Amino acid sequence: MSVALRIARRELRGGLAGFRVFLACLALGVAAIAAVGSVRMAITQGLDREGAVILGGDAELRMTYRFATPEERAWMEARAEAVSEIVDFRSMVSVADPGGADRRRALTQVKGVDGTYPLTGTVGLAPAIPLADALSPPGDLPGMVMAEALAGRLGVEIGETVRLGTQDFTLTAILTREPDGATASFSLGPRTIVSRAGLERSGLLAPGTLYESNYRLRLSPGADLDAVRADLDRSFPDDGIRWRDRRNGAPGIENVVNRLGAFLVIVGLASLAVGGVGVSAAVRSYLERKTETIATLKTLGASGGTIFAVYFLLIGLLALLGVAIGLVLGAGVPLLLGPLLADRLPVPALFAVYPGPMVEAAVYGLLAALIFTLWPLARARDIRAAGLFRDLAAPDRAWPRLPYVMATLACAALLIGLAAWLSGIPTLALWSAAGIVATLAALALAARGAGALARRVARSRMTRGRPGLRLALAAVGGPGGETSGVVLSLGLGLMVLATVGQIDANMRTLIAQELPGRAPAYFFVDIQNDQLDPFRAAAGGIAGVEQIETAPMLRGVITAINGIPARDAKINPEAAWVLRGDRGVTYADAMPPGTELTEGAWWPPNYAGPPQMSFSDEVGREMGLKLGDSLTVNILGRDVTATIASFRVVNFRDMGINFLMVLDPGVLRGAPHTHLATVYAPPASEGALLRAVGDAFPNVTGIGVREAIGRVNAALGELATATRWGAAAVLVTGFVVLIGAAAAGERRRVFEAAVLKTFGATRGRILGSFALRAALLGLAAGTVAIVAGAVAGWGVMTFVMEAEYRFAPLSAVAIVAGGALASLLAGLGFALRPLAARPARVLRARD
Amino acid sequence: MTSPAPADPVLSLAAVTLTLAGNAGPVNILRGIDLAVARGEAVGLVGPSGSGKSSLLMIMGGLERASGGSVRALGADLTALGEDALARFRRSHMGVVFQSFHLIPTMTALENVATPLELAGDRDAFEKAAEELRRVGLGARLDHYPAQLSGGEQQRVALARAAAPRPDILLADEPTGNLDGATGDVIMDLLFGLRDRGATLVMVTHAPELAERCDRIVRLRDGRIEGETARARAAAAE
Repeated sequence: MSVALRIARRELRGGLAGFRVFLACLALGVAAIAAVGSVRMAITQGLDREGAVILGGDAELRMTYRFATPEERAWMEARAEAVSEIVDFRSMVSVADPGGADRRRALTQVKGVDGTYPLTGTVGLAPAIPLADALSPPGDLPGMVMAEALAGRLGVEIGETVRLGTQDFTLTAILTREPDGATASFSLGPRTIVSRAGLERSGLLAPGTLYESNYRLRLSPGADLDAVRADLDRSFPDDGIRWRDRRNGAPGIENVVNRLGAFLVIVGLASLAVGGVGVSAAVRSYLERKTETIATLKTLGASGGTIFAVYFLLIGLLALLGVAIGLVLGAGVPLLLGPLLADRLPVPALFAVYPGPMVEAAVYGLLAALIFTLWPLARARDIRAAGLFRDLAAPDRAWPRLPYVMATLACAALLIGLAAWLSGIPTLALWSAAGIVATLAALALAARGAGALARRVARSRMTRGRPGLRLALAAVGGPGGETSGVVLSLGLGLMVLATVGQIDANMRTLIAQELPGRAPAYFFVDIQNDQLDPFRAAAGGIAGVEQIETAPMLRGVITAINGIPARDAKINPEAAWVLRGDRGVTYADAMPPGTELTEGAWWPPNYAGPPQMSFSDEVGREMGLKLGDSLTVNILGRDVTATIASFRVVNFRDMGINFLMVLDPGVLRGAPHTHLATVYAPPASEGALLRAVGDAFPNVTGIGVREAIGRVNAALGELATATRWGAAAVLVTGFVVLIGAAAAGERRRVFEAAVLKTFGATRGRILGSFALRAALLGLAAGTVAIVAGAVAGWGVMTFVMEAEYRFAPLSAVAIVAGGALASLLAGLGFALRPLAARPARVLRARD
Repeated sequence: MTSPAPADPVLSLAAVTLTLAGNAGPVNILRGIDLAVARGEAVGLVGPSGSGKSSLLMIMGGLERASGGSVRALGADLTALGEDALARFRRSHMGVVFQSFHLIPTMTALENVATPLELAGDRDAFEKAAEELRRVGLGARLDHYPAQLSGGEQQRVALARAAAPRPDILLADEPTGNLDGATGDVIMDLLFGLRDRGATLVMVTHAPELAERCDRIVRLRDGRIEGETARARAAAAE
């Protein structure tokens, strides 16, 4: 080994000139992974540290449209140092239009707080006044603070009057920071905070109104959260109280961050795979230049093993350097941008250098380096001393020895396994790995195919008399060309972009197409029993309103399946969401028109037996339910156990009234509840509809479907943007590889240009040929990328989104054209020297 | 020693200089060359390494631009022509053979030979190329890539490529320099066979037996013409 080390050290004297692409590829891939990991870690750490602040206390007890009973309240008081009661619901706020009788309205998420709020953290207001003062200003009206977005939407200034329900409030400040607001940032309306006392007169908390009450507990410093939770479960096993504590203050957000982070790490791995192509090409071209040295060393008695050790050490050292550069970039960039990012993130983030993501990125980087360099290194050991005496330029097509092939495969398996394990989304990781490997294989085949086709066409009569075209085709199809390098690197980068493009386009189409067919203009919630008929009359009286559908609306938490507590029930993870929060429940006597039963039968009219239920066919199947099973649903703090009498088709996509669970009227008719209405109307009638309903029923909240769709679209847009950034990392790496390939091919092009000039080719003709060659390669890469992207897009749409896939041609054309253009630019960028070079100098230099 | 200038020279050089920028300042490669080559003549350029013979050949082919003086070929002033015009001139009138063959590795033998014909817009490029390859004895190697050919075979392809467009002037830079004796003899015969088809031949060579076959030998030293020797055949022609 020491001899190998010595020789390797001497070989390093040659400098790193040929390794710029090698280092850049490795560093970029590692940096992308390390950066994503660092940001993800910063957010998770931030969420962990700020858990209590985000939650609003050490623990939180949530109840759906009811407040705590005196017993429950007493239980909390006995165990906590302080208890804060908060009510959270969606409503409409309105302000008088100056100079008109009309009112401007906007949807908001209202938080009614007591005097102890917030238990942890501080509320930020502008002007900076205490919250208590802001909510109880001097004067007759209670105070209100709201998010700036909402104030802007209403066009209201501080000091003006805002109506919520039937109560007027004075806007006293703008809410600049809501310490426990991270979880609410995904809701439909911006935040409004009022006092619980102020809310009492708004008429918005009437029985049956959809609201959620949260009780935040501040526990003594040493309190055992698990013990308190167990105590709660024992004391109130059937009350439908949901528990959350500071250890996981924002499970939804953490989940989203982790998922997105894991997904972006996979994208980073794709970038590493693209980089790997460049790494491999760089090592191959380096070793090709070293053929003479290797043959000489062998002549002097070096064994194959020594040769392998020399260059393994050398490349290994460079790989370490590349990984180190990547780690510095990956850790440094988030750290530098931390202050900027922290302001833009809706969640707390603690930017620092975290060893975990660094180790992960380094391991991925080194494994990738091994996978992509073992083959060329193994081939180098098989270079024979006789190589000195034959044509050194002819590429050696031999496969490496079996142990090297096995080692490469083992490294690949290890990398994929690690990615699957560490990402926490093994299915996606494995499918992605399979996708990348399949795409690489497809691209390698495509490169060969393109080469074979180019050779065929080059020899056909078509190219006779067109030497520029034939030269381009010969370069694509001839031996030792750059075809495979360019097609692989560019193709893989474009494939990731194509996949994102196809999925994004399909998601947008999916959302857009749901709307025009037959979607309501507005949902109205919280319609009281006695308001139902006047509501129908008021809404029906608006010109253009086509149809009004209403249904009783309650919400309930499934607490048990066949008597087994929901927490212990073993159901398919895909259907676990059903048990996580409260779900919509309605009741009906006769089967509503349009209902399609798939199994079982509807209860008879005026049914008065034990409770029966009709359940969603699809969700029921996912949960493993069958006819005759019983579900216990906690509604308003009361458990209702019903037997499943039928399954029916529920299509959540048609935007109409759909409930997971329909019960017979017996048990629920008497319970306090409100009604949900959907109103179908053309866009022109929407304004008048909202005005009429808002004026007559201040407690009723209208949610515009178009606006909601807009929000979903915007959220999707943000997701697509994050993904595109990831894809851009892959593309940048691809471009570096491409530039590397073009640079590596420059020498060859300089020579070709010189020979062609010698035999009478003009520069225009040579340039045209170079451009054509680059465009052909880009086209081949783009075409494979589109096919692979379409297959991946189809897979995601069909199996993950369970929706129909349609090929998105616009995105596809853009990507093929982009591929050709990128290749063209890289090719032409490296065509200047060949064109400018004097043939005599070039050709004599090679003599 | 210097031969009288031919009445209608195919190539005529007057006071040609070539100065290149070197690491240690400008290097004078050619220091005032006057030379005229008659139609159909075979001229051998000889001299020690670094005497400037290859540079002179390159200037004759328009592959290198003279720093001073005039270079005329077939009546055209090469120093006044642009890069592309020079390329077009070569395409119509010149063939070049190099010591290292300089075949395009991504093209087969046939394609390599057909390229100059195609560049000249010849519709029968491939037929002529195949014919030329058969003439140099490579009829069975048409579809081979350069890497699949021996050195001698590669030089024969290069020769066929230079000869295929039937150039007026054939320039050869040590055409047998990289070949063994027997293979070199074959190439020499082929080269002079081409000359017999009417081409003017200017050749740089170190090989005395190759120079012996030329009509005139021009000796260079330090960028100047040191002397000339007219051979019997040239004398006979006069």
